[in-house]
Amino acid sequence: MADDDYDDVDMGYEDEPPEPEIEEGVEEDQENNEDAPDDVVGAEAEDKEQEQVERPRKTSKYMTKYERARILGTRALQISMNAPVMVELEGETDPLEIAMKELRERKIPFTIRRYLPDGSYEDWGVDELIVEDSWKRQVGGD
Amino acid sequence: MAPREEKLRCTKEPYIEDVGPQRIKSIRFSTFSGEEIKKLAEVQVWNNRIYGIDLRPVENGLLDPKMGAANKAGVCATCHGNFTECPGHFGYLKLTLPVFNVGYFNSILNVLKCICKACARILLLENERRIFLKKMRNPKADIFMKNALMKKIRDKCKISICPWCGSRNGVVKKARSSFAIAHDFSRSVDESIEVVRAALSHIKAKSSFQVVYILSPVTVLSLFKRMVDEDCELLNLYDRPEKLIVTTIAVPPVAVRPSVFVDFGKSSNEDSITTILKNIINTNSILREDLEGAAPPFKCLDCWAHLQIQVVEYINSEAPSVPDSKHRGLIQRLKGKQGRFRGNLSGKRVEFTGRTVISPDPNLKITEVAIPVLMAKKLTYPERVSAYNIEKLRQLICNGPDKYPGANFILLGDGTKQHLRYVDKKTAASELKYGYIVERHLEDGDVVLFNRQPSLHRMSIMCHRARIMPWRTLRFNESVCNPYNADFDGDEMNLHVPQTEEARTEALMLMGVQNNLCTPKNGEILVASTQDFLTSSFLITRKDTFYDRAAFSLMCSYMGDAMDPIDLPSPAIIKPIELWTGKQLFSVLIRPNARTKVFLNLMVKEKIYTKSETMCPSDGYVYFRNSELICGQLGKTTLGNGNKDGLFSVLLRDYNSHAAASCMNRLAKLSARWIGNHGFSIGIDDVQPGEHLNQQKKKKIDEGYRECHELISLYGKGKLTLQPGCNAAQTLELKITGVLNQIRAIAGNVCMNELHWRNSPLIMSQCGSKGSPINISQMVACVGQQSVGGRRAPNGFIDRTLPHFPINSKTPAAKGFVANSFYTGLTATEFFFHTMGGREGLVDTAVKTAETGYMSRRLMKGLEDLSIYYDQTVRNASGGVVQFIYGDDGMDPAKMEGKDGIPLNMDQLFMKIMATCPPREHDMLSPTEALQIMDNRLAKYDMAPEGGRKDSTVLENVAAKISGISSKQLEVFLETCISRYHSKKVEAGAAIGAIGAQSIGEPGTQMTLKTFHFAGVASMNVTLGVPRIKEIINAAKNISTPIVTATLLNGRDVLSARVVKSCIEKTVLGEVAKALKIVLKSSRPYIVVKLDMDLIEALHMRVSAESVCHSILNHPKIKLKSEHINTIGSDKLKIYPPEADRRKLQFEMHSLKAMLPKVIVKGIPTVERAVINETNGVYNLLVEGTNLLAVMGTPGIDASKTRSNHVIEVQRTLGIEAARQCIINEIQYTMRGHGMSIDTRHMMLLADLMTYKGEVLGITRFGISKMKESVLMLASFEKTAEHLFNASYGGRDDQIEGVSECIIMGIPMQLGTGILKVRQRVEKLPEFKSLNQRKLLCECKSAGEDIKARNWYK
Repeated sequence: MADDDYDDVDMGYEDEPPEPEIEEGVEEDQENNEDAPDDVVGAEAEDKEQEQVERPRKTSKYMTKYERARILGTRALQISMNAPVMVELEGETDPLEIAMKELRERKIPFTIRRYLPDGSYEDWGVDELIVEDSWKRQVGGD
Repeated sequence: MAPREEKLRCTKEPYIEDVGPQRIKSIRFSTFSGEEIKKLAEVQVWNNRIYGIDLRPVENGLLDPKMGAANKAGVCATCHGNFTECPGHFGYLKLTLPVFNVGYFNSILNVLKCICKACARILLLENERRIFLKKMRNPKADIFMKNALMKKIRDKCKISICPWCGSRNGVVKKARSSFAIAHDFSRSVDESIEVVRAALSHIKAKSSFQVVYILSPVTVLSLFKRMVDEDCELLNLYDRPEKLIVTTIAVPPVAVRPSVFVDFGKSSNEDSITTILKNIINTNSILREDLEGAAPPFKCLDCWAHLQIQVVEYINSEAPSVPDSKHRGLIQRLKGKQGRFRGNLSGKRVEFTGRTVISPDPNLKITEVAIPVLMAKKLTYPERVSAYNIEKLRQLICNGPDKYPGANFILLGDGTKQHLRYVDKKTAASELKYGYIVERHLEDGDVVLFNRQPSLHRMSIMCHRARIMPWRTLRFNESVCNPYNADFDGDEMNLHVPQTEEARTEALMLMGVQNNLCTPKNGEILVASTQDFLTSSFLITRKDTFYDRAAFSLMCSYMGDAMDPIDLPSPAIIKPIELWTGKQLFSVLIRPNARTKVFLNLMVKEKIYTKSETMCPSDGYVYFRNSELICGQLGKTTLGNGNKDGLFSVLLRDYNSHAAASCMNRLAKLSARWIGNHGFSIGIDDVQPGEHLNQQKKKKIDEGYRECHELISLYGKGKLTLQPGCNAAQTLELKITGVLNQIRAIAGNVCMNELHWRNSPLIMSQCGSKGSPINISQMVACVGQQSVGGRRAPNGFIDRTLPHFPINSKTPAAKGFVANSFYTGLTATEFFFHTMGGREGLVDTAVKTAETGYMSRRLMKGLEDLSIYYDQTVRNASGGVVQFIYGDDGMDPAKMEGKDGIPLNMDQLFMKIMATCPPREHDMLSPTEALQIMDNRLAKYDMAPEGGRKDSTVLENVAAKISGISSKQLEVFLETCISRYHSKKVEAGAAIGAIGAQSIGEPGTQMTLKTFHFAGVASMNVTLGVPRIKEIINAAKNISTPIVTATLLNGRDVLSARVVKSCIEKTVLGEVAKALKIVLKSSRPYIVVKLDMDLIEALHMRVSAESVCHSILNHPKIKLKSEHINTIGSDKLKIYPPEADRRKLQFEMHSLKAMLPKVIVKGIPTVERAVINETNGVYNLLVEGTNLLAVMGTPGIDASKTRSNHVIEVQRTLGIEAARQCIINEIQYTMRGHGMSIDTRHMMLLADLMTYKGEVLGITRFGISKMKESVLMLASFEKTAEHLFNASYGGRDDQIEGVSECIIMGIPMQLGTGILKVRQRVEKLPEFKSLNQRKLLCECKSAGEDIKARNWYK
């Protein structure tokens, strides 16, 4: 049973090349532009926020495995402490599995603050980042 | 609560607002004065009695209850807390007279050296003082600069007359006799001393005049008190210098020096700190009495000295001035492996762990570990009650602590803990509420960490899922043996249970077995099939194995848990009966049903591969096409660990870890079950040699022996043709060794050919599951030459190895050749030689474990805080850049597919694309079209940081060669390559330093200490193995085998090579002189030197009488002038000794004659020798010795291609970048010499760390203290006390940012998951449904607040 979850990873057996990533990049850029005015309105008081808006975000648009682990961990803890779940459940009870499902559906209400070595930072919403696509692999259990 | 009330009575308690969790940002080290200690202390300690008659601690004694609760029964008299609540309080002990602090003794000495011993001002002229002060106050100066400056100031302060008060200053040094400071005037004697000495000369009693004074602590204290603040600043003193001297001792709280009652409370055992302090109190009071009672001064002084020694013992009981102390001082508590720093702060003891013997279980998944029920009942996980699990937890509570799926504790809402053994389980279960925490037994699917020592790399501790099983051992799938380096001969392993949701998640995500299938050392797969799995795969996939429907279906059902649907392939043979091949079974194993979209494409050459690819006669060419095994017998290369293009590696890269893992699971189950029925064993008949083999072996051995005897007789006659750079004995050894090794190899080959194909050892060796051809031939044919230290057996007796042989015998048998096999049995002497070789191996392992362990530790300490930041740079914890991009390309070594750390294996990928994406009716592309497509794709923005690319010539070449590819295929191929390349970038936060340290340290343990290796030429050895790695990372100044590899400008010509060689090689006069004679004549004796012109010609040396004359004149020891030497012709010199006494002339002549042969007439003095080496018709020079610059400067040498293996010399000659490259090359070369491949990125990182400060720093205590600033990190490495005392002298500030410091302080570190902050987004929070209206965690968070709920703050 477990094997059918990597069918989507198969590269182009159906004669169709995988979706190029560029489109996502373009989308993401647009998002970026949309985000900018929002932030200015929202947080004018905070100098740092301002500063951060002025330059485009430069770090990778992929979510690192550390970010994913941290987010899932934090979210799983919240869920285990009876936080409201953002997705429809299909019988999952393990907080970690629920958190994974939330991340898969990009429903985790977190922002990642990535610190650069000079002390400045970039904020990335969890839904903005590209997450590695295979999911079941993390759950070695079944 | 009584203590609380009493506390309330104290009205002066300040109100402290609870600001929530706080984090230590930095630590400042400083010194306390006596007054400060008194203020901090709660009680003065002066009573030398500890317990009163009533067995209660005496007031003002060392265990005064004001200093904290002494045991569980006691209550603190200061804070009224009990043993667990009271943190302990200090007392103080006033010393009658001040004493020195051992820790600061050197600092005190240094300060004293720099100040005037009369007026306490610094011994610098005003203008100098100002300049230095300005430099010292420079805000940009860091610690290293300040320390260097201070050293400079100390060197300047050597004036004997104080510029401020004009008084004389002598030399300050440590008194030789005891622990004191001496002020020595003997060097700066002026005339007044002479006067005194003259005046005193008539007194006979003491002839030597005392010019050495002792500076007592009191004098030093008063001097220090008078010092000006600016002078203190100059000496890099953070605080007043008088604090360096002990006037008051802070008595540590009782809790750190517990007193233990023995003999039913009749007497007590005191901690050594208490004992020392008791002695100090005694001596102190005696001293006071003596002073007050006007005892004779010498008695007081003695007492004072005694006090000094005791205070020294209190701080450092191992100090040289303390005569063998039986106590442990404060420093002894801190330092060493078991000390506070390494034993308790850097490594902590944990709960929720288990340890037992391990055993294999192929029916488990590779991600699982079987845990005995017994263990599962003790190890618990605190699960919070929620709507999803309340029913389950109720059931567990009802079961209680003794019935397996149960629970041990309940944590109620108010924080109280209930043990389920002592409460009514039924009521506890019914009263369970949301938010309670139940410490339930471990259950199936729980996350546990599994570890085996020695933990050499990160795969030594991995995360598994628990499976609770009966019986007493921890069990796991054999495929996971490799990363742990475990076997089942009685090994034990450890188990840890993470206790929070965050910890489990991170463990599973980052340390899970399925996420660590590959080693970051070089990207090879580490978790893979081993031993029996390989054997059975090998047997199943034999060409001649066929199964009928029943057998084949049975084997298919072996693979899974009867849960997976399996599509039975169509049989390979239909008539007369349906038969399936074993190879088809593997096709099923890879792709059990049509729903599994795994299309494996693979081409591997197995060990047994001989020729002609897929038509290989021994079926050694494994070819998978679209998950069908076309041909090839599977073995270690396909299924085993340690390679990059095996089956599991390809599955892992092309699909995902789950695909590889489930395939491994299936293979494990199949092979374990199949081989259990099939049977596989070895017996004595497997190692019985056949008749033919015996004859062959005898023939070969006789031939070899004859050859050896011929060589020996040639050697005896002196007719052996010498090999380059070897003498006759060495040549003989080399040749005999060669012959004997050949005997073994031939015997082995014959034996392998002779063995029946069903022979079990042969099968195991062929498939790679266990044993090599050498092992087999040792059992069957011939054990072969035994070696000790890389040579044949040495002579343990006089000129022979054993008394069974004639003296000076060099025959094979006399030097350790074992002609018998293990089957035939060894003779007595053979057996003895065999044990000699065996012992060497044992000694090797024992020695190298300690060596490599220390090396790994140092590497780890040096590299621990390097990590990738979000801008892709590699930096240390304080933000210093070590690499601008990791490994020059920012790729993750664990994910590299190609050989030598190349990101992609394009051939493999192309093959896969061509197979999985058939062209169907699409047209084939023409080269121009292909080029067009590639151009279009490669111009897109994700190809380079700037977008697009520049150079297209490569592309055109590629495009021209591609044919028979459809546009779809090309497109898919390009797209896959590009996207896969992007996914292989190293991720921000990766602790790449620690990984690098492990990747270099771990292979070190596998290296045999076999140190030498031939560098091209047989006679030239280079150090290899652990000693060489040690040399490199220590940045040793002198290495054991420095070799310069010089490329020649004219590499094809031997003659020019010889000329260059003669220019480099050190040649002394003795070697080129035909005669060197003393000619005694009545007129003037002389020495005549005649040069051997024939030899000089033959060696193409440019040496003539003129040049010899020149070199003699330049010789430093022979003091001759040009008129003393006469050159006669081109080959003769007459040397006249300088005019001297006639009596001494004879000696002069002889000493001259003895010196002359050693005069270097040609070459570089530091070069021992140079050897010409030929590779493929190109000659180069291997120069043994140093002085790279001179070699490079020699005419005929291509300086730009000349390399040295001496890192420090390369740095001196060519600079820091060359040194970096040299480090990389040398480590790489050494590792390759032992057959180990390590990704070059790790070496780059190490080399960059060693060179990024501008000089080559070794990974030693000296180098590391120049790389890192953190005191805590350095203190936890080596020289703990020294670093701490120096830090408090300079008032160092330790920013808690590095890995060691964070671990010591218990703070999350800034790498891995700690590199980022997670913030809750609240504004987008949708209205939640009313299904559970409980208090929400996020409710109490304000908008955009950081989530601080990480558990270490709690």
